[in-house]
Amino acid sequence: MEELKKYKWMIPLISGAERNTRRKLLKNLRKKKDRFYPEGGFNADIKNLINCMLCPNMCRFDCNTLQAAKTEVISPAYKARIGYYLTVGKIDPSDPENKEFVDLMYKCSNCENCKIWCPFDFSVVSLLETVRDDLNEKGLMPDYCEKQIDKLKETGTIEDYNIFKTYEEKGIENIETDGNDDVFYYIGCEMMKFPKVVQANIELLKKLGIKFSTNLDKRVCCGSPALNIRDLDTITSLASKSVDLIRKSGAKLVISGCPGCVRTLTERYQKNHILEEKVEHEDEEIRGKDVTEEEEQFSRILYDEGPEVIHIVEYIERLLEEEKLMLHEVPKKYETVTIHDPCLLARNLSNTSSIRKILGHIPNLTIKEPIYNKEFTHCCGWSGTVHWADRDIAIKESENRISELKETGANIIVTACPECELGLAYGIDENEKDTIEIIDLSELLIKAI
Amino acid sequence: MDFNDFDIIYQEKRALIKNKDKIVAELKQNIGEKNVSTKQIDILAYTKDTSLIAMNWTMEGKIAGLPEIITWPANTSHIIEILKVANREKIPVVPYAEGSGVVGGAIPVKGGIIIDMKRFNKIIGINNKNLSVTVQTGTNGMNLERYLNSKGYTGGHIPQSLYTSSVGGWIAHRAAGQFSSKYGKIEDIILGMKLILPTGDKIKFDPMARAATGPQLDKYFIGSEGTLGIVTEATLKIWPYPEKRALISYAFPTIEDSLNATREIMREHIFPAVIRIYDADETLRHFDHIEKAKNKVMTIFVCEGNERLVDLEETITREKCEGNSGIDCGKEPVDHWFETRFKVTETSMFPPYRIVADTIEVAVMWDDASKLYHSVVEATEKVEGNLLVSAHVSHFYPNGVGFYFTFGGVPGKGKSQFDFYKECWNTIIKATLESGGSISHHHGIGINRSHWMDKEWDGGLEVMKKFKDALDPNNIFNPGKIYEKTWNGGDK
Repeated sequence: MEELKKYKWMIPLISGAERNTRRKLLKNLRKKKDRFYPEGGFNADIKNLINCMLCPNMCRFDCNTLQAAKTEVISPAYKARIGYYLTVGKIDPSDPENKEFVDLMYKCSNCENCKIWCPFDFSVVSLLETVRDDLNEKGLMPDYCEKQIDKLKETGTIEDYNIFKTYEEKGIENIETDGNDDVFYYIGCEMMKFPKVVQANIELLKKLGIKFSTNLDKRVCCGSPALNIRDLDTITSLASKSVDLIRKSGAKLVISGCPGCVRTLTERYQKNHILEEKVEHEDEEIRGKDVTEEEEQFSRILYDEGPEVIHIVEYIERLLEEEKLMLHEVPKKYETVTIHDPCLLARNLSNTSSIRKILGHIPNLTIKEPIYNKEFTHCCGWSGTVHWADRDIAIKESENRISELKETGANIIVTACPECELGLAYGIDENEKDTIEIIDLSELLIKAI
Repeated sequence: MDFNDFDIIYQEKRALIKNKDKIVAELKQNIGEKNVSTKQIDILAYTKDTSLIAMNWTMEGKIAGLPEIITWPANTSHIIEILKVANREKIPVVPYAEGSGVVGGAIPVKGGIIIDMKRFNKIIGINNKNLSVTVQTGTNGMNLERYLNSKGYTGGHIPQSLYTSSVGGWIAHRAAGQFSSKYGKIEDIILGMKLILPTGDKIKFDPMARAATGPQLDKYFIGSEGTLGIVTEATLKIWPYPEKRALISYAFPTIEDSLNATREIMREHIFPAVIRIYDADETLRHFDHIEKAKNKVMTIFVCEGNERLVDLEETITREKCEGNSGIDCGKEPVDHWFETRFKVTETSMFPPYRIVADTIEVAVMWDDASKLYHSVVEATEKVEGNLLVSAHVSHFYPNGVGFYFTFGGVPGKGKSQFDFYKECWNTIIKATLESGGSISHHHGIGINRSHWMDKEWDGGLEVMKKFKDALDPNNIFNPGKIYEKTWNGGDK
């Protein structure tokens, strides 16, 4: 409708055109799909792939993978063009010689900066995911993606071992639920790589007297990597386990230090109809029978009546507002900090204020903002699929971001995402590792309590 | 993938590189394995620029021109090494950065080597006292502007392609931004530059306020469209970020009334940063929600800078508009322009319907402005299959203006999209020349206008060719542009 409204000025031009011109135009209007859409079933968002591939690349300046790779191949419009050609068969995705064209569909860090500038208001990754759906259906998932899926299936986590089971060796306390928790502290797979952050959060919750659990013995990944790869079967299995565990804790509030987990548990499950599919699927199996109460509960728990799922910074902000938490001075080393806003928190969860409000409660702390901050933040390189498909690009993204953060003059980089913490570390030169410190907000807070 | 599955538009003048494997190996040896590619995925990415007809070709699975080797130099030594090989083997080289040109300037019509300048993206520094910034030329325009804004400045060069063009592209195509009535065009903004000549020699023009040191050689490279060398670094003027903006709009009964008002403003040496006159058709297209502008000619102004000066500029601008039957439409049309100026959707919307459209900018002195507008519209309306021809006036001087025409339609019977495209282009350019105009205001020559250069320059073109021969004896730098009539040989 928007399209029609925008181009309504063309109607008198068409109706007033010479007969042959008008006929030709009307034929072109009718034949658009016959000519330019693939035959048979497909998942690809053809309309917007075309919109993107014919765009003058209006988002290119803020595409973090392009700014890292510095080749036209990584430009958003070219990715869309290849996605379109792969879909319509102009480039055969099943030909092994065309593997690099298939790989291009995964060279995106999901930062969604492009969406800010897109004349059509979509992100490039939202198009690439639809192409990946078709590739998956044809059995053409790249091996580096298959490897991730295998790990998720085998260990329920992003590692080839169950990373949640390493809590003891990492000095992380596991707190089992008794079914009557106030809060479920949802520790992500990536967060398990940062035990100090987890320890800080557990210490904080304990000091505040919050009744909470972590349930690390039963935990699995939220499934975010499977969603990026578009393996919906794997995600459904992980989602069911995660939701079941949350439900059994009795908590009405789920907090996580990983914005990727928060987004997955909320918006991404719903948008991808994850649990609805499960219900439908099982409904087919038990055709003629009623959908069980438990399955209905699965569907409701996240979408309607489920617990609130928020990032831990939002929770801490609430505690400060309710004056349940007081912050004091931090050691001198941490007096001047810069902030790396995680893409997922800033753009997907639309929260750039909590970190700043929290830091604003620390009396002796000064924030040095980078040029690209808040909703315009740049990516660490470690989100999406590019760090599997082309690690060099991801590392360069990280180097670019570190360079922007260093320009502030602050040596302490505060963030609130384990993936960012992981990614940004790749961007620091070996000889700077003693001077520049990347720190999760929770680690800093513990120093201020 | 097989490039034989893609129809190549500019194929006839393409010469394949002899001993390619050996040359690629040599290039890799000299500038690094990762900085050279012959992979299909890389080649395909450099087969077009942002010419609107190239969007139609992309939709139809065709490609404009096919290079054979892609290079990504990281420093000037790499460029010099590439040029050594290219000169020795007489291989065409095409400088490329963001590929936002719209006249075919970056299309490798004769194949050869692409030199992608994206890695030249350092902003070297701001000189606050001199009000200048020094920058490598592969830097994206918006990234430069955002950097300057963060430091309290503006570059003043804000083309609609800001998001998708490079500093090098601006210089190569003698570009003009939407705020240029105040800040000037790129040739006014550039203070100094470093470049590499086709022979591999480096020259530099140090930033200077002004100089009387013989013919100003530096100016000759501005607008040379990658045919005379590669600019690697530039020093540009900057301005303190404006402290005030006044947004003004008036609707006029006719385009002549609006041209008179803006001419009178210019005569007073009042330079609103932005002035744009939309003819009645474009007013309907962009401002149909403004009741007072119905069946009229919308004109918008942005005055910006020092608050007291802006107030004065606004007063005089309003006086001149009201003295020429202008009706005040408030700031809303200007807000609308600010909101939509980078929302480019037309390049995507038309090709799937096989509609061929484009914009063509030309320049003219004031005394021929009205005549040129009506002549171009009348001539273009007669092209078989054309649905629309309209214009806005986008650039203003005390002595004349720049018009921006839009056409769009479908080819007549037996004609290709390219035939229709060329017919519209040639019609508009011919009418422009007959009305006393210049064939390009700020997009440049590229392929689309090169066959009109002898009419534009008369004997001057021969002098240009001599310069070209002297600087580029092997004619390797972006051949098929400016001096050669590619459309006469590469038609499809």
